[in-house]
Amino acid sequence: MESALAQLEQSGIATWIRESGVLHGYPLVLFLHTLGLSTLVGLNAAIDLRLLGVAAGIPLASLRRTFSLMWAGLGLNAATGTLLFMADATRHASNPAFYVKLVFVALAVVLLTQIWRRVFGADGSGKLLAAASLVCWFVALSAGRLMAYISEFVS
Amino acid sequence: MSLLHLHLLLNHLPTVAFGLAAGLLVVSWLGRSEDLKRASCVLLFIIALVAIPTYVTGDAARFALRDREDVSADLIAAHREAAMLALIPMQMTGALAWIAVWRFRRWILPALVALSFGTLALMARAATVGGGIRHPEVLGKAAMSGWPDAAAIGAALVLDYPWVWPICEVFHFVGLCLLFGVVLLVNLRVLGVLRGVAFADVSRLMPWALLGFIINVVTGMLFFLAAPDQYTQNSAFAWKIGLVVTAGATLIYPVASEELRGLKPDAAASATARLVAAASVLLWTAVIFLGRFLPYLGSE
Repeated sequence: MESALAQLEQSGIATWIRESGVLHGYPLVLFLHTLGLSTLVGLNAAIDLRLLGVAAGIPLASLRRTFSLMWAGLGLNAATGTLLFMADATRHASNPAFYVKLVFVALAVVLLTQIWRRVFGADGSGKLLAAASLVCWFVALSAGRLMAYISEFVS
Repeated sequence: MSLLHLHLLLNHLPTVAFGLAAGLLVVSWLGRSEDLKRASCVLLFIIALVAIPTYVTGDAARFALRDREDVSADLIAAHREAAMLALIPMQMTGALAWIAVWRFRRWILPALVALSFGTLALMARAATVGGGIRHPEVLGKAAMSGWPDAAAIGAALVLDYPWVWPICEVFHFVGLCLLFGVVLLVNLRVLGVLRGVAFADVSRLMPWALLGFIINVVTGMLFFLAAPDQYTQNSAFAWKIGLVVTAGATLIYPVASEELRGLKPDAAASATARLVAAASVLLWTAVIFLGRFLPYLGSE
């Protein structure tokens, strides 16, 4: 496991992102990751607020098209997240905050698919799903942001 | 041009223009003019935004003057203290003015007038002490006061407790998501990507974008107060603040525009409204870009 992580870290693309400075690889990937998360989490939070009764006049059908943007944000962040992980594989793999983040991102994404299916597809009430979604994104965001501090604390 | 020059350029604006806008607000109240009332509120909001770079460039000026023996460090400190004490109520006035444009309530007008004139008094005090830095002859001992130093309190909060900075980072991202998500959704309706919803219904979400913006101004200011020189000496930071003010100004457009207020569920917005909507999303994207590149670009 250790050696696999180290190998990942030493791979060409990981080295390029971390060290080359070409196109400012590392901050560029970081920026794209932030753009993806603000699109996915931001739109999802706005939809959650709508389901909780804010701006109740917005017909749900008019929000359907935001889902393709959210999935695009998720795709961008899966890709950039993988790159960021590769650049510091051993450090991230030993960081508990990293696993907390992954679990809560996964939960939030499952909740979003449930919102799509049960609320947008079958007219169910989405209040509970929306509240859970906001909590999951908050935990995922906090764990992600705190990774740098917790990794210092762990090592 | 440096941030120091920018401070000299901007420093009269929050006092003079804010006074004019507050005066117009009173005139609109007495004359019962809806248009003038809305225009004064828009002005109050935008001037409050411009006060942010006015404050932060002041720290750049302080940095540039730090070794000058003919400039009193005490007076600069007194000016900085007075400026923060004016900046806080000015931001509150700006936020309340935004709310007044979004959904007007009867109680807002007197509250806004009281708040803006209180702010004006504090602003005038900050300006007087600031003018005294280069013209000490106009200033008596009155400048050195025992008023609370909000900037020092903010800096101490971040520096004394190691968990405050990380918590602020978390909330800076929470604010960013709220702001960007709601701005994106609202502007997608203006751009015609989303249809089948009246603009007035979508714009009910806008206060959540303002909330996100307020969270980020507060947490961002705490970062700045804790390490001002790290930011004023970073060229990417100057660009970021400039873009924050420009992008921030676009927050008032969707709530102030007559056209958008009346936009029916399947109607298309005008080219102007679309242009502002696209600019708003792009400007916030640029703010995120500069925020992320700040530690890597500016200190080279």
